[in-house]
Amino acid sequence: MALPTFELHRPTTIEEATQLADEYGDDAVFHCGGTELLLVMKLGLAPYGHLIDVKPISELRGVIADDDLWIGATTTHRQIEQHAEIRDRWAGLAEMTSTIGNLRVRNVGTLGGNLCFAESHSDPATALLAGGATVESRRGGETVRSIDMDDFVTGPFETALRPGELLVGVRVPRLPDGAILLHRKIRFHERAAATVAISIRVNDNRIEHVRLAVGAVGNRAGLVADAGSLLTGQPVDALAANAIDDLSHAAVATGRPVADAFGPADYKAHLLRVLVRRTIAEATALGMS
Amino acid sequence: MSTTVVTPETPRERSVTGAIGSAAVRVDGAAKVRGEAAYAGDLRFVGMLHAAIVRSSVTHGRIVSIDVGAALAEPGVVTVLTGEDLLDFDPYFGHAVRDQPILAIDRVRFAGEPVAAVCALTKAIAEAAAELIEVEIDELPYVGTVEAAIAPDAPLVHDGPPRPGSYLGLTGLGDGTSNVVFHQEIAWGDVEAACSAADIVVEGTYRFPAVYQYAMETHSVVADWTANGLTVWAAAQHPFLLRAQLAQLFDLQLADVRVVVPFIGGGFGSKSYTHTEPLAAMLSRKAGRPVRLVIDVSGSMLTSRRHDMVCRMRTAATGDGTLLARDATFHMNTGAYADNGPRVTFTAIEAACSPYRWRALRCDGSTVYTNTSPAGSYRGFGAAHVQWIGELQVDEVARRVGVDRVALRLRNLEPRGGPVRPDARPLDADLLGDVERVAKAIGWDEPLGAGEGIGVALGLMPGGARPVSSAEVRCDADGGVTVRVGTTEMGQGARTVMAQIAAEQLGVAADRIRVDQPDTATTPYDSTTGASRSTTVAGKAVELAAADVAARLLAIAAEWWSVPAVEVVLADGWAGHGSRRATFAELVQRGFGFSGGELIGRGDVRSTPDGLLPVFWEVCLAAAIVAVDRDTGEVRVRRIATVADVGRAINPQLVEIQDEGATLQGIGVALHEELEWADGMLVNDSLLDYHVPTTENLPDEMICVLVENGDGPGPAGAKGVGEGAHAGAIAAIACAIADAGVPLDELPATPERVWRWLAPAPVEAI
Amino acid sequence: MTVEFTLNGEAAAADVPANALLLDVIRDVFELTGTKPSCGVQVCGACTVLLDGDPVSSCCMLAHDVTGREVVTIEGLAGDPRMQEVADAFLRHAAIQCGYCTPGMVLTLWALVRDESIADEEAARRELAGNICRCTGYKAIVDAAVAVAVSRR
Repeated sequence: MALPTFELHRPTTIEEATQLADEYGDDAVFHCGGTELLLVMKLGLAPYGHLIDVKPISELRGVIADDDLWIGATTTHRQIEQHAEIRDRWAGLAEMTSTIGNLRVRNVGTLGGNLCFAESHSDPATALLAGGATVESRRGGETVRSIDMDDFVTGPFETALRPGELLVGVRVPRLPDGAILLHRKIRFHERAAATVAISIRVNDNRIEHVRLAVGAVGNRAGLVADAGSLLTGQPVDALAANAIDDLSHAAVATGRPVADAFGPADYKAHLLRVLVRRTIAEATALGMS
Repeated sequence: MSTTVVTPETPRERSVTGAIGSAAVRVDGAAKVRGEAAYAGDLRFVGMLHAAIVRSSVTHGRIVSIDVGAALAEPGVVTVLTGEDLLDFDPYFGHAVRDQPILAIDRVRFAGEPVAAVCALTKAIAEAAAELIEVEIDELPYVGTVEAAIAPDAPLVHDGPPRPGSYLGLTGLGDGTSNVVFHQEIAWGDVEAACSAADIVVEGTYRFPAVYQYAMETHSVVADWTANGLTVWAAAQHPFLLRAQLAQLFDLQLADVRVVVPFIGGGFGSKSYTHTEPLAAMLSRKAGRPVRLVIDVSGSMLTSRRHDMVCRMRTAATGDGTLLARDATFHMNTGAYADNGPRVTFTAIEAACSPYRWRALRCDGSTVYTNTSPAGSYRGFGAAHVQWIGELQVDEVARRVGVDRVALRLRNLEPRGGPVRPDARPLDADLLGDVERVAKAIGWDEPLGAGEGIGVALGLMPGGARPVSSAEVRCDADGGVTVRVGTTEMGQGARTVMAQIAAEQLGVAADRIRVDQPDTATTPYDSTTGASRSTTVAGKAVELAAADVAARLLAIAAEWWSVPAVEVVLADGWAGHGSRRATFAELVQRGFGFSGGELIGRGDVRSTPDGLLPVFWEVCLAAAIVAVDRDTGEVRVRRIATVADVGRAINPQLVEIQDEGATLQGIGVALHEELEWADGMLVNDSLLDYHVPTTENLPDEMICVLVENGDGPGPAGAKGVGEGAHAGAIAAIACAIADAGVPLDELPATPERVWRWLAPAPVEAI
Repeated sequence: MTVEFTLNGEAAAADVPANALLLDVIRDVFELTGTKPSCGVQVCGACTVLLDGDPVSSCCMLAHDVTGREVVTIEGLAGDPRMQEVADAFLRHAAIQCGYCTPGMVLTLWALVRDESIADEEAARRELAGNICRCTGYKAIVDAAVAVAVSRR
């Protein structure tokens, strides 16, 4: 399996990168870790003539854990997984990252690359949705704009980025005091068949805050809009069965399962319902303790 | 996490030297761990070219034209080969049937069939040029499954009756009027009468998946055709059969074809017989230079795979649990070319007989051509296909009559010496004892956890294939010992075991004995490396050859010291008599009266002592506990125990690891692996969507029950293992899943299938 | 296009096109064949090399992406004490059969042991899940991994 021929460009600023992207148009693609892009190119599905390597751009690098968390686009999964402050304050994010692909993929693959590739089974996309993250992006010559994570991935392999616009970093807000972020998936093979991520705070046996995201079953990850209204105020030790049922159905409505290598849509919908139920049970138990 | 249970009633006798029965470190281990081991794709020769293959995108069709002009015009391209280059000789090969062309000629019979090949200075150039070759094919109707292929008026994959290949004495080939290329039956008694008189008849239709053997090293070969003959360096399990096939194809003397086997990165049957070597040879012939052909994973999946199968089976029994009759009819999908399909089918017929006392039996198997990639050998073939089906039915009988499943088996099994089938070796293993041992090891009577099921499954498969092996053992002037034997080291540890066998005869440490991979120019003949035969048959030849050398050393010492040869002993690298001692080097030099020279011992195995086949029956026995997640359908193997009824373990550690590998591959077949076609095209042709087991699929506990009854025909009473555990593991897992309440009739038991089998009602719409 | 990097401790340079894969450059240009091609889709681990000390799949990495970085192949660990510990454990536990996955396994374990990632058997199973072995059934490999980790405590 060989790669098609292409030219490799190495800009050091976003301005240069955008200029190259504008020059080569649809024949160009941004390249970072390459764990997704090179794979599809090897499979003959993406015959780009120009790869614009964004790794040399310093603006896309680094992790800043302040009140909130900023992760530069070219940060590898492994760097996130091993980052002391992320492990401490955004443990769910670090834990999720440690389940991506395999060790070698995490050593090379980057958060920005993963999100921009917008593969529908992406783990980070689902977790970041639940975590209320925003994506920061910039075209050369312009200033940074913020895109809500829920608006960033628009479909399989499609994002809200305009041509020549780069994902600069991802901003994850501080988790509310006492809240936890949990990302769970049902995975039989290489990629997940269903994923659920939840940000939840339990206080005095009551659910006070919840954000629920689902992914991998359909074309893109999505936030379950009704999760808050269904669960907020509910007692953890006596969660109404119908609330969980309603939530599971809402999750399926959000996830919109489609058939893929992991099974037909009805099975994936079923898996998602199971996973929602299990994740809520685990998250509320953790939230209580 | 695991234990090896050495059966207490058969303590291992110490061998004389300690060489047999010890966990000798692999003789090839150091080279492998350092990355120094060179496999076929690592070899490099002066002037060597690289090849790439153009494959058919059509499932079945007539080749209208192949335009190679653009490819030939590419800088660095040396030559291009198409079917038109194959018209001045008979370019068809095949083990059972001579049906496979080196490249498609006029007609393609499966999507992915090689239609052209390019030779270039680099692999990148060859691959790029291959993309430029335009192939026009007129599509023909195709048959993608056995059901379609055996339907009336099905399009025929081949025209005319099959031409016999190199499989001596094969009977049952088809007549060319249908896609059935081979059909055989074993039967006795009146099955219909037995079934109608029975209290219980369990009946069903079952499906077994096509899988890829998935050796980590893909099909790889280097060929060099010169005026001096043809040399191929091939990852080939059967170098001598490959040599014969190449000689026949190209009308060369056997001596003018040299097959050299480098390190092999796993075989499991996929590298049996002949696959890509004729194409590499033709490319080298045309280019006039050495050519390396390394096929990638997706291409290797199209080169050899395991037969998928549909089987109708019924089992009849009395109300007290006495088994009466078995009736099995199955069709094996051999794809577009027969390869070893008839033997796979016949082994399945034999395995379907199983060692129960049937009053009546009919096992009817057919090998069917379809327009899919060719299927051949894979570990435990035949037994892996049918054992799980028969054992599911035996379990169902036990359930219906309310008898414990182990007890029911013990009641119906043949004892040692009992008949297995007419005209074959009687049962040569203590199967009854083995069942009790595996039941104890798995904890048959212990309570299960929630959602768990337990199963035990037994069977037999013919082991040893043809008892034809020769070996040489050489003692050099410096006392060094070399074993030359045609068994190939594919990872199973053959080289280490052969060293141990020779060491035992010669009284030297195994790590001082050199055993290299075969080279047909210098290595004595061996038929195959398969059917778990290496230790038993090739090992016997090595034992005889080493004994021959030992006798020569003893004779020299006896003459030197004027003592009877029987009084001289070989131990610790010396010959000794009383207080006299001599090194092997001293003996060789004494024998030749010169500083050089060598002693060569020869060992030949030509038949079994009693003339019966199989050489031995390989026991296929395992027990498993699985946990079924009833929400998701996911099955996990919690504990699994396999029986290595090995006669004598030359190297217990290697036996154990063979069983463990066989088990993991069994887990793959039982739970994960399946090649899938859509519109005649193989769709999951990479590890992205073809899942082979990883450490995540490792059972919580694996137990290898080592049984050493000294009842094998090999050295020190050894017999083969490594395949039986595969068939046994698949069947035990299937039985355990059924015990957990899942009515399975198809493998692999994927989460989705299990979920559907468990679904009480139509599933909720979304 | 010339790529300059460090290969097994020595300066290396190769004139290869932009689409050259690191695996092919290591094998074909530098003739180091301990790095094995297999699945081609970064799942199996046979082509593992260390990039700045961490395991990566050379089958899906551009050669030009290692510009200025340090690549170590199985050959480059010859004589390394930790490599020797891993190799000894593999031999002792019979964690090698056909050997095709072995260099990748050894390199991966070398890094995991350094990072103290193998706390117990469960961790070994989790961390080695990205390396496929088709011969051994993994138990011996997991046992070898745990043995190395334990012996270093």
